[in-house]
Amino acid sequence: MERLVVIWCPELLEEGTRGEEARRFARVLARAGELCPWVHPVRLGVGALPARGPARFFGGEEAVVSRLAEVVDEEAGIGVADGLFAALLAARSALIVPPGGTADFLGPWSVATLARPDLAVTLQRLGVTTLGQFAALPAASISDRFGADAAACHAVARGESGELAGLRDRSIERRLRVARGEDPDRGADVPPPPSQPGFFGGASEADARAARSFVRVQERLGIEAVLMGRLQSGRDPAGQSVLVPWGSPEADTGPSGAPWPGRLPPPAPSDVLQVPLRADVADAGGRAVEVSGRGLLTAGLERLSVDGGPWQPVVGWAGPWPVTERWWSVRRRRARLQVVTADGVARLLCSERGQWWVEALYD
Amino acid sequence: MFASHAGDPSSPRSRELPAGLADRVRPATPVAGRTLPVPPPLAPLFPGGSLRRGTTTTVAGQPGHGATTLALALLAAASTAGSWCAAVGLPDPGVVAAAGLGLDLRRVVFVPHPGSGWAEAAGDLLSGVDAVLVRPPGRARLTAARHLGARARERQAALVVLLEGAGAWPEGGDLALSVGAVEWEGVGRGHGHLRGRRAEVRVSGRRAAGRLAECSLWLPAGSGAVAVADDGPEAA
Repeated sequence: MERLVVIWCPELLEEGTRGEEARRFARVLARAGELCPWVHPVRLGVGALPARGPARFFGGEEAVVSRLAEVVDEEAGIGVADGLFAALLAARSALIVPPGGTADFLGPWSVATLARPDLAVTLQRLGVTTLGQFAALPAASISDRFGADAAACHAVARGESGELAGLRDRSIERRLRVARGEDPDRGADVPPPPSQPGFFGGASEADARAARSFVRVQERLGIEAVLMGRLQSGRDPAGQSVLVPWGSPEADTGPSGAPWPGRLPPPAPSDVLQVPLRADVADAGGRAVEVSGRGLLTAGLERLSVDGGPWQPVVGWAGPWPVTERWWSVRRRRARLQVVTADGVARLLCSERGQWWVEALYD
Repeated sequence: MFASHAGDPSSPRSRELPAGLADRVRPATPVAGRTLPVPPPLAPLFPGGSLRRGTTTTVAGQPGHGATTLALALLAAASTAGSWCAAVGLPDPGVVAAAGLGLDLRRVVFVPHPGSGWAEAAGDLLSGVDAVLVRPPGRARLTAARHLGARARERQAALVVLLEGAGAWPEGGDLALSVGAVEWEGVGRGHGHLRGRRAEVRVSGRRAAGRLAECSLWLPAGSGAVAVADDGPEAA
């Protein structure tokens, strides 16, 4: 596998309404390209270059990373690893993964990072949640059971391959030509890859019968009334899943594949409140408990009041777990707390700027 | 571990068919028979160890004591066996928790806000899917309960009714599960994390005769699934 440096610009990953992201990303590539001539775009906001030549020239991979960081005038994570997949994850965490260390590095990451939602759900049912556990499954059974794409994912998880369908956006060169004001059709355009087929084939009579009943409910209550849950990347319970209308294109699309640092361990809460409830927490003296700048509670929790309701004794709590909402840019600092009250009810609380909220319930 | 996978196309039914026909037909319902499977830890609660099609099962408990978790868990094995399931009136469904309980999200639809049309929506869904979980917004009307019970029998679907607090189902259920005493494990005063909730679950109702009257479950265990509470919360 080729050793790659990846430049990952979190603010340029998606095209905004004004479309300036492509222009800014073209500028990133141009500036990096002045340093190293082999820089190429992977997708919007992500560029890559082979590590070996520049590392010899600049005196090591650390030197390449720091020189790139100097010239790139955007917020960027830069990482180095064997193969594109590991190098992408390395860039998000600003890490240099040692040569040959890919499988060890990938081991703890979630299978969701593969951006194959069907595969992730199936593996989860089998108790396989990390790339390391996935890699430990026998390769022959993977390709027999799940097909070629899953076998490609498996090779990636084992650190044997770095390329995966969907990692590279094949329309990016064209978009950058447009952003640079060049003729977009100068080079041959490649159509986007087809969407991932379902694991279990086409629709059966039971599927058709179910679909008819969903349509009836939609006619009764509206298109948005019938929803399907999708797991996705995210740090908090609300961000790890999304509800999308049944039958919409979104119901078939996969997660973006980001990791979730700061994620709480299972079990997950059964009720994730769409509208959080205000909460007040107090210490033994009745003073409000807050999270200090160092991420610690100012006092032990003794009482909780939800939505202005009566005070309830707290019998246990865990945390606070600091969560940075956009962990690469330190935008919103939050802290989470699991709180169990004397009535046996467990809640997930979140503190932001001195105010506590109930985010979720464990019903 | 792959031998028991739900996607196995070689169902017993297609193997019984004459040679040459088996590969040209497909079963009309992916789960044959008159019952729907439940996760093994819940099987002792049910006559025959499974959720019977055409019946109504109520799940009750104090708010926040795990009735939602138990009701969702009843759909887990059915959905992974290929049955479509629906959850009506759960306003803030925890999708990650549902997946952790073992539900196949590709086979489950949520109707979180049916409003006053909850009974009609549940009735529509009973005609189309194998299992419907419904949480009435308050005390259900007798006519609505009778209508839904009849629809479940007629369409051979399983109806699961989630009752919160003092809520009641006017018709009663064929089987009534209720969550009694609960206790969370894993959190101290400022350390650990929630690992599991031990819950006493009682069974009663018309079809409960001869069943284990009460059992102790992790609802859920540390894995996110349900488990028998003989062992620690990490056992599942």
